Amino acid sequence: MIPNAEALLKPLKLKGLTIRNRVMSTSHAPGYAKDGKPQERYQLYHAKKAEGGIGLTMFGGSSSVALDSPATPWSQISVADDSVIPYFQSFAERVHGHGAKLMIQLTHMGRRTRWDAADWLPTLSASPRREPASRSIPREMEAEDIARVVADFAAAARRCQEGGLDGCEISAAHGHLIDQFFSPSVNQRTDGYGGSLTNRMRLGREVLEAMRHATGDDFIIGVRLAGDELLKNGLSPEESLEICATLAREGLADFLNIVGGQARDEMAHAVSLPNMSFPVAPFLHLASAIKREVDIPVFHAQRISDLATAARAVAEGHVDMVAMTRAHIADPFLVKKLSEGREDDIRQCVGAGYCIDRIYVGADALCLQNAATGREATMPHAIARADVKRRAVVVGAGPGGLEAARVLAERGHGVVLFEKSATVGGQINLAATAGWREALSGIPRWLFGQVKKLGVDVRLGREASEADILAENPDVVILATGGAPSRGHAPGAELSVTTADVLSGATAPAGSVLLFDDMGQHNAASVAELLAKRGCLVEFATPDRMAAQEVGTTNQPVHYRELYKLGVIFSPNLELIEVYREGNRLVAALRNTYTEAEEERVVDHVVVDYGTLPVAGPYAALKAKSINKGRIDQNALVAGEPQPFARDEGFAVYRIGDALAGRNIHAAIYDALRLCKDI
Amino acid sequence: MFAGLVAAMALIALAAAASRVALWRRGRAARADWLGGLIALPRRYLVDVHNIVAREPTTARMHGLTAGGLLAGSTLAALGALPGLRDSAAWWALTALAFAAMLAGAGIETRRRWPRRPARLSGGRFDHLPPLLVGYALGGLGFAAAALLRAPATLAAVPLALAGVCGLTLSSYAGRGPMRHAVAGALHLVFHPRPQRFGGRSVGLASESLDGERLGVETIADFAWNQLLSFDACVQCGRCEAACPAFAAGQPLNPKALIQDFVGALASRAHYSGNPHPHIRALAGGALVGGIIHPDTLWSCTTCRACVEECPMTIEPVDAVIGLRRHQTMMRGAVPDKAAARLDDLRGADEPGGRPLAARADFAAGLTLRVLAPGEACEVLLWLGEGAYDLRHGRTLRALVRLLRAGQVDFAILGEQERDCGDLARRLGDEASFAALAQANVETLASVRFNTILTCDPHALNSLRNDYPAFGGVYEVWHHTALLDALVSQGRLKLGRLAGRATYHDPCYLARYNGEVDAPRRLLDTLGLERIEMARHGVRSFCCGGGGGAPLADVEGELRIPDMRMAQAKATGAALVAVACPTCTAMLEGATGDRPDVRDVAELVWAAHEAGLAPERAL
Repeated sequence: MIPNAEALLKPLKLKGLTIRNRVMSTSHAPGYAKDGKPQERYQLYHAKKAEGGIGLTMFGGSSSVALDSPATPWSQISVADDSVIPYFQSFAERVHGHGAKLMIQLTHMGRRTRWDAADWLPTLSASPRREPASRSIPREMEAEDIARVVADFAAAARRCQEGGLDGCEISAAHGHLIDQFFSPSVNQRTDGYGGSLTNRMRLGREVLEAMRHATGDDFIIGVRLAGDELLKNGLSPEESLEICATLAREGLADFLNIVGGQARDEMAHAVSLPNMSFPVAPFLHLASAIKREVDIPVFHAQRISDLATAARAVAEGHVDMVAMTRAHIADPFLVKKLSEGREDDIRQCVGAGYCIDRIYVGADALCLQNAATGREATMPHAIARADVKRRAVVVGAGPGGLEAARVLAERGHGVVLFEKSATVGGQINLAATAGWREALSGIPRWLFGQVKKLGVDVRLGREASEADILAENPDVVILATGGAPSRGHAPGAELSVTTADVLSGATAPAGSVLLFDDMGQHNAASVAELLAKRGCLVEFATPDRMAAQEVGTTNQPVHYRELYKLGVIFSPNLELIEVYREGNRLVAALRNTYTEAEEERVVDHVVVDYGTLPVAGPYAALKAKSINKGRIDQNALVAGEPQPFARDEGFAVYRIGDALAGRNIHAAIYDALRLCKDI
Repeated sequence: MFAGLVAAMALIALAAAASRVALWRRGRAARADWLGGLIALPRRYLVDVHNIVAREPTTARMHGLTAGGLLAGSTLAALGALPGLRDSAAWWALTALAFAAMLAGAGIETRRRWPRRPARLSGGRFDHLPPLLVGYALGGLGFAAAALLRAPATLAAVPLALAGVCGLTLSSYAGRGPMRHAVAGALHLVFHPRPQRFGGRSVGLASESLDGERLGVETIADFAWNQLLSFDACVQCGRCEAACPAFAAGQPLNPKALIQDFVGALASRAHYSGNPHPHIRALAGGALVGGIIHPDTLWSCTTCRACVEECPMTIEPVDAVIGLRRHQTMMRGAVPDKAAARLDDLRGADEPGGRPLAARADFAAGLTLRVLAPGEACEVLLWLGEGAYDLRHGRTLRALVRLLRAGQVDFAILGEQERDCGDLARRLGDEASFAALAQANVETLASVRFNTILTCDPHALNSLRNDYPAFGGVYEVWHHTALLDALVSQGRLKLGRLAGRATYHDPCYLARYNGEVDAPRRLLDTLGLERIEMARHGVRSFCCGGGGGAPLADVEGELRIPDMRMAQAKATGAALVAVACPTCTAMLEGATGDRPDVRDVAELVWAAHEAGLAPERAL
């Protein structure tokens, strides 16, 4: 049992509201809003957490209160008019039905948004200082603007109250309008809203007072703000403390939700949304310091991904509520499992940042390891038992094969899982070898734990032959044989080694290395770091505009920080056209993707990443004997219906994951879940 | 001739016993209904004592034949001196038969001790029993045979001499030796400190006046005189030793040795040749408790009453332990370190963890329990107990609350008005804290109206049911297994079926203290679980090690009691140990390694309720 777990399962009283436990999810933007409204998908995502026992779930990160803070960039929620109220009402009904409380975050983003979205209105802020992240230069707010924005906040708060929400918070964090006024790094005003801290707080105070006036004394209104902006000329911890103390003392806020850092540029963004390279709870001390100065509840999120840390944070009195937002994306049943004593069944967030990285490229939030999150309407978090018990053979115990075995076993089928190597995990084991990516190993660890618990017959160290598979007399065969790294097709490719060879230890390059990355993923960046740390001189060449271009905004800066520190040379916009020997060294010929100018590097090793190509395994032999000839009916798959192949006799064979085409962990797991849930 | 021998034997025995009377009189005064006791004696002996002895049929046969044969043979032979009977062949045949029966019994006794004496039996003078009993029986038989065959007196002198030597020796053993149990045992049955236990149940601890200058038992003379008498009744059969969990775990407590420690202290001479208390440590600075026993011995006791349950002489070692603890705790503050903190918290916060009383209901966050305000009424008052603070037990309580709702039971809790029941304080000897808590709780309970009290905690149940009446609190107290059983049998709870093999661990305070063993078993059977019993179950269950504050003393042994109990559970092959007490749950879940799961009966009933009409599911 987790020490201090009982501290998490105590109710919290917030004015007239009783939250059933101390675990919450902070407001965030999963990119699920439709037409600026939290509709079915959005509501089901939060309702699942409520069903899973969470005390408070907050939604609508950066929900906008005004038109010049457009809701469109991250498929956000607009609270700028009354049309959102019915959606709030149905949302609240859903969440309250499971005993959880529901709140929203309201904000005006000021300069931290785009002018070329929705209504094409210019951005505004305390002073016309450009924000690096959004690249927008705001208009300086005039008194009339301030009055209007204050009124916008008040109207939005009223809408929340009418919508039946239990409360709301305003965002004065991550460089939004309120904290643009707080922060001397943005606020250069000389009027009553700039200069002294009292003046810089004035907008926030007016907003909170107007919201209180609009909603009355009982409605819960909190403030999310930074305990330290971690920024030169930014808000210092002392000033933050004073703001917090004032908000509490004067009754302006009912709770404080503390973060560390801000998000004005890419590195700051990565720090404020710490990935697996950070220790757990890196900014708990900031919340803890504020907790000592105020008499209102303090909430805190930021990489508190495990319950032991969460329990410690509450039990030791650092915070009153601990927010486990990404942890709930990985497993919405976190609290239920804790209270039922099933901690071992919790699928723990590994901190890959896949969920948040997707929304910053305009996609929807998805969990790297849990394909049901955000797909509650179609994908089950709890797998239902099948009516008919079948025999299934799964070949390959990478993430796809493990997920397939797990889901099939949850369905009640008899499952045999073959894995040719001595350990499960597949390519994740390689990825986890590299530097700060070790936590990825949590994904197969959980899956394997479930698979064993469910009684799957696991046969490690056994490369399944056709005879092995047929000997099990299966009704269904899932081939999750994965992919093998490709060396690409440039002349002399055979002289190069792959990133997988380096990670597996098959080769240990020394001296100078030309690392060529055709994929733009983590793999090459991780290997560049690994090689540079071992003392290699590494040049990172890629045809993309930048290294690791496909890696998201909470991860890419960490790669860059490490690679710059290690002196890795970035050479974007180059493609590898040939490798040949010269003496005992290699020459890599590169061509500029824009000018077609060619250049050469004389190096000791050429390491390449061209992704993977499928491993066929026993597919060809099984395909011929199978009833479905290896096909997957895509219409049935997407519609969430069973595959339409008669199963009276013979067996069906399906390929999933990289065995079909090299993709990623989520793709393999999603392939497995959506196919197997209907078998 | 034989009459003279019997008279001499009786005189010697009485003289030997009389020498003990002075010793018993050193004890504190205690009221005893000697007339009622005397009238009840045959029934107490033939029913209550017999029922315990008969758990070992061979021993019962041995004792019946030996004691019956001895008494009958001796009486018949003595009466044979009367003129009318002297020449009656039938009389002497009957006498011979009685001695033959005794011989058979003595034979069983001989077989029991030779060639190897079981470890739990004492040696010393007890090892003289087989030759003496066989000798006396043979002598009596020979004498009766000689009379029957009208053999010459010289010939009869040989068996008479044998009977004389053996019989007189046996009689002399009535003061110091194995035969003391016969006289002291009979008197003990007459003057028993807990006469209500015969034909009934008496487990509540006697309260103690807190006004005295000296509280509890400091020296041997502070025991009540009839307790001292009870110690003399010990026949050193070692049934308590075999049953004691602390002894089994190698902790320094052997109840048999404990009783003999008292006997030794009384007579200021030790003649004990049974197993000692295991692993007695050298005393580091401290003193022997009452100059009699090691503190570790005192604090090893889990108050599980296994020794009381097994004692054929109806001795009550737990009462003696509590008496000694009361003095140590209240007069000397000499409690184990961890216990001191808990008692401090109890005094300061009415709760042994020092936690806010309002937090007791935190386990139910989201379930919203009705809190009974003064003057309000409910059908069932749910007493949450200390376990409610524990996350693990919170799961049991949540299951129970949901089941009560499903069964449409009108229930409520006392909220922050519920103080600790005081069981821990009382078992640790802190009678003052217990009394304060009991009085406060009785007052609170008087301020609300309810029909019954319901609790998941057998310790609270026992306190409320058996300890509180002395404080004016008389309640109908239900254990949750009993209530759930009633709800199921009334059809108020719809249950699906569970599959799997389960064994049920009886909590001492529910089974042995309160005799409730059937309801949980009936429930498990109803759920469809395959129930396998451990060798020790029901009222003879083996303790989890958690009672009486023993975990706070945490006296070192060779094994941990809960590990032993879990090994017994595992040996049944069950995948599940069903429990019905928060303490047992915590203790058994502390067993490490590959072991059966531990689930409270309420959790299982809830799982079955959830399973509803769905198909069977594995646990």
